[in-house]
Amino acid sequence: MKLPPFDYEAPETTAEAIELLAEHDDDASVLAGGQSLIPLLALRLARPAVLIDVNGIGELSGVSASDGQVTIGAVTREYVAEESQTVAESLPLLAAALPFIGHEAIRSRGTIGGSLAHGDPAAELPAVARALDAEFVLRSRAGERLVSAADWFEGYLTTARRPELLVEVRFPAAGKGTGTSFLEVARRHGDFAIVALATSLTLADGTISDARLAFAGMSDVPVRATEAESLLVGERPSAELFAEAARRATADIDPPSDLHGSAEYRRKVAAALVRRGLRAAADNAIEGQ
Amino acid sequence: MTVDISLTVNGETRTGSPEARKTLADFLRDDLDLTGTHVGCEHGVCGACTVIIDGRPVRSCLMLAIQAAGSEVTTIEGLATDGGLNPLQQAMWDSHSFQCGFCTPGFVMQATAFLRDHPDGDEQQLREALSGNICRCTGYQSIIDGVLLAAERNRER
Amino acid sequence: MTRIAAERYTGASVRRSEDPRILTGSGRYVDDIKLPGMLHAAFVRSPLPHARVLSVDVSAARELPGVVAVYTGAEVEEMTVPGPDALSTLIGSAGPIPEFSLLATDKVRLVGDPVAIVVAESRYLAEDGCELVEVEYDDLPPVATASFALDPASPPLFANLGSNISRPHSRTEFGDVTATFDQADRVFDFHIDVHRHQNVPMEGRGSVASYDADSGLMTVYTATQSVQLSKIIVAMRLGLEQDKVRVIAGDIGGSFGLKIGASREELAAAAAARALGRPVKWVEDRGENLTVSGQAREESFDIRAAVSSEGDLLGLDVKMLIDTGSYPAMGGGVPDIIQAMLPGPYKLAALGFESTGVTTNKAPYVAYRGPWASETFVRERILDVIAKDLGLDPLEIRLRNVVPRTDPPAVMITGRPLVGITTRESLERVAEMVDIPAFRRRQAEARADGRYLGVGMATFIEAAPGPRAPGGPSGPMGLESMRLRLDEDGIVVLFTGQMPHGQSHQTTLAQVAADEFGVPFEQVRVVVGDTDVVPFGVTGGSRSATMTGGVALHGARQLKVKVLDFASHLMEVSAQDLQITEGNVWVRGDPDSAVPVTEIARRAADGEFGPDADADLEVVASFDGGEGGWSGGTHCAIVEVDAETGLVQVERYVVAEDCGALINPAVVEGQIRGGVAQGIGAVLLERSAYDQDANFQSATFMDYLMPTACDVPRIEIEHLETVPLDAHVNFRGVGEGGMIVAPPTVVNAIEDALAPFGVRIFEQHLPPARILELIAEADSGQ
Repeated sequence: MKLPPFDYEAPETTAEAIELLAEHDDDASVLAGGQSLIPLLALRLARPAVLIDVNGIGELSGVSASDGQVTIGAVTREYVAEESQTVAESLPLLAAALPFIGHEAIRSRGTIGGSLAHGDPAAELPAVARALDAEFVLRSRAGERLVSAADWFEGYLTTARRPELLVEVRFPAAGKGTGTSFLEVARRHGDFAIVALATSLTLADGTISDARLAFAGMSDVPVRATEAESLLVGERPSAELFAEAARRATADIDPPSDLHGSAEYRRKVAAALVRRGLRAAADNAIEGQ
Repeated sequence: MTVDISLTVNGETRTGSPEARKTLADFLRDDLDLTGTHVGCEHGVCGACTVIIDGRPVRSCLMLAIQAAGSEVTTIEGLATDGGLNPLQQAMWDSHSFQCGFCTPGFVMQATAFLRDHPDGDEQQLREALSGNICRCTGYQSIIDGVLLAAERNRER
Repeated sequence: MTRIAAERYTGASVRRSEDPRILTGSGRYVDDIKLPGMLHAAFVRSPLPHARVLSVDVSAARELPGVVAVYTGAEVEEMTVPGPDALSTLIGSAGPIPEFSLLATDKVRLVGDPVAIVVAESRYLAEDGCELVEVEYDDLPPVATASFALDPASPPLFANLGSNISRPHSRTEFGDVTATFDQADRVFDFHIDVHRHQNVPMEGRGSVASYDADSGLMTVYTATQSVQLSKIIVAMRLGLEQDKVRVIAGDIGGSFGLKIGASREELAAAAAARALGRPVKWVEDRGENLTVSGQAREESFDIRAAVSSEGDLLGLDVKMLIDTGSYPAMGGGVPDIIQAMLPGPYKLAALGFESTGVTTNKAPYVAYRGPWASETFVRERILDVIAKDLGLDPLEIRLRNVVPRTDPPAVMITGRPLVGITTRESLERVAEMVDIPAFRRRQAEARADGRYLGVGMATFIEAAPGPRAPGGPSGPMGLESMRLRLDEDGIVVLFTGQMPHGQSHQTTLAQVAADEFGVPFEQVRVVVGDTDVVPFGVTGGSRSATMTGGVALHGARQLKVKVLDFASHLMEVSAQDLQITEGNVWVRGDPDSAVPVTEIARRAADGEFGPDADADLEVVASFDGGEGGWSGGTHCAIVEVDAETGLVQVERYVVAEDCGALINPAVVEGQIRGGVAQGIGAVLLERSAYDQDANFQSATFMDYLMPTACDVPRIEIEHLETVPLDAHVNFRGVGEGGMIVAPPTVVNAIEDALAPFGVRIFEQHLPPARILELIAEADSGQ
């Protein structure tokens, strides 16, 4: 299972990387953490002519907060985000999801931007990005472009990224009264999700003022359960409400069927996760008040 | 294409000119003759290829050799001093941790990272930390016992 | 003053000799081997499960810089001796032996079937070369299921078979089957499926072959369970005299039955090495290992059980269909062992057994740890279902049916005496270890909370090596030999045909020999893995504890006699007055007379002996297993099933086992735990998956899921005091038991957990989605 031949570039600045992307276009793949790309290369399922290794571009790494927003450089290692105080305080949903990403050794190399640019619908970070309406910042010869999470994930392993460099992802910081949960059903600890659910609830005076539910593993992209979200806003948390939300979240969804679970199985599990995820998020919101 | 690299492996400066596509695992084994790091799946699931790079456990099959340029790499061969066994290896020997030995280097490196970062970690934490390493022979209990014994002995020192 | 004898090694968890190298990465596995001028092989493999090969164009591959040679299947035929499958020829086959070429020539029979071999300066380049080989295929209808394989309309995989029957139908009856069923109060009908799963050692198959044209000697470094068996096959297929082949094995990263003989790929690589005059290495990658190396256990059973209303299991009538995959391996022989073992440790009065084996476009059915395990699965499964139907407790029905230990022993209806079995004791001990009434209370409370806990047990026996057969050896695969020598440095060297791949033989055999001969453990060395040096042997069938432990025991005693005889000449004392302890030879009662064994050895090597002394301090011993014996035990698991997600956690796992006398308890326990882990894996995670067109779907570790440290709980083990049968050797094998009995243990527990839903389970693979399906099906009354 050896990698096929490719040319290799290691730009040292964002500007260099952008030029290389423009020059090679679809013939190039960007190598960040490599935890998704290198297995594809080993299986010879990906055959880029050029690999553009962005690990050497220091300015693409880092976590910073300002004005109710947390900005994470695309090449920030997952373990760095996991250890970040800023993430723990301001992005509890991301903090909850990170330990589910593979195993420690994967998170040593895997990057926030790399996972999001890979766009595996069964991965954890795409669901978090969708739940939080993260903003993707791209740069190319044409300048800077912002893409919202809703528009970022176009299809299975397909994102809105053209021959552009994803430089950073911006997440809104969790507001007052927000509780989150990240739940995952996987075959084993550390595996890709069969179904996972990123939940965020904001309570004001005991009433839900904001609700986010984003699934991994239920489609070819991460999906928001918008019908369930609308049901929740304006209501007080209760088991009956959450059960109804679970029904709405899974009524019109068409999940995939594969070796690890049929569509019917995924639907049932998704409903269970909605019930459990909402209760956990509500408990966290109440606790935090 | 090949790229000239220099890196520190087990405390020594090593150089090479691997093809860009060569994994770190293959570079260690083929170019540097450090065959202690084993290749079990080549797609990043089994953990047999785990090494420590700049202090972090890493699957060396999921890294290009050239990406390790300038890094400090520790492999299984770099753990023991004076040809003996270090305390973790000793505790694993005392605990009958392994059988066929193929998964062993990956487990030892991953456990090394765990003990350093979680010296008082409990069994559940340890099992989760090692759940990315696959062993087919032992059912894991003896490996867990070896690491916990090493932790206990470290505390007694 | 009499010196106190050294503490005995046998029975102690002596630290392993293997570990210093294992723990420091200094082991030497096949892929670690580098020879000067060595080349690397990769194989062009079929993407189709069943197709005619119309053409193979290797010209572009040959042009690739770094590619040294490419041989098609036809070219490999010319470089080797064609013939029927070597292993089937040696071991025997229940059905006609299929004819096929070493690499595929006219047709391919499974996804991954090798069609050509590319030899290059590196594995990277060899794989690049493989991509340049163009093969034209003409699709044939895939034979993806056993039922289609039975259909005469299914295209035969092997022309000379004329059909897809690999093992023709046969039926045998023991006792009066008809009468037993006629007279029974109840007759139950079951259908049980066991799914395809596989060995998956962490190291795949592989070899480095090196041919020296001057001497005509072929040396093959390989991973194998028997260097001698590999050598026989290499010699056969390469047309070499046996003494022109040397097979060497170093450290082996597990096998579990997979690495037996020499694979088609290894033989092709050896032929290439000979043709090219340079060593050729082929080590399979994980994709190859999962796709083509071999799989096992795909069997289905129709079972009729004749039962009394009190719960006596009177008779079984079993019809078995085994999917032996494409190329022949071990599958054809499995029904015979299953038939022999079906009665288990129970009082069965009648058994009818019939079987058919079929070929399909899937990986060959290889031996996988306890190849006959399904007999325990189906028997222990139906006992639980019958118990539930009759309102009996699972423990109760087993205690009722288990054969008591008598003298003379009861004999299984299929012929083997149940001498020395401790099944009853193991059942009772497990009941003590797991306070089942207390569990039932906890289970009831949990159910009130919407949590589903279950307890399940299963018991088994295995012939490890089995009771002494009248007039014959106990062990499978015949007598065990060992050469023992006191070398000139005073080291007791054991040359054994055993080929450890995790079994710790270099430790356990040294323990036995050290005790019997009288030297410290460190003064014994166990030599394995070189056909120039070791006798014939196979590691497998859980035989080594008895057969090799036994030959080490007797051989060490024989060597001691020889050494004492020599020493008697040196020390001018009668041999009867001499003893060896702690590495010294001394006159009984006179500690000052002690002479180190090393000195005796040195003097023998130096020629310091008189005309009457035999200074050749070596013996060749053989052992037939003595009185042999059964191994067995009872396992019990407590599980929790999440009824909303189908996820199962094994909360507790308990074993009461009897494997005779233990040489090294830590080694025994490691073997049991490893086997149990594989059993848990089989039930919850592992499946070799094919779609309805025989396309393979689990070629990576992302789809073939192995159990991890979060999936296998602590396994509590108690060793029963065994019933000694032999005056000297009471070690019995333990390698396979865990894997044999863990699957029914876990499935029984899962069914118990799901009892409120009325679920009945007649299959072995229970991933989360299937658990939810079973609940839904039971709910809807299906």
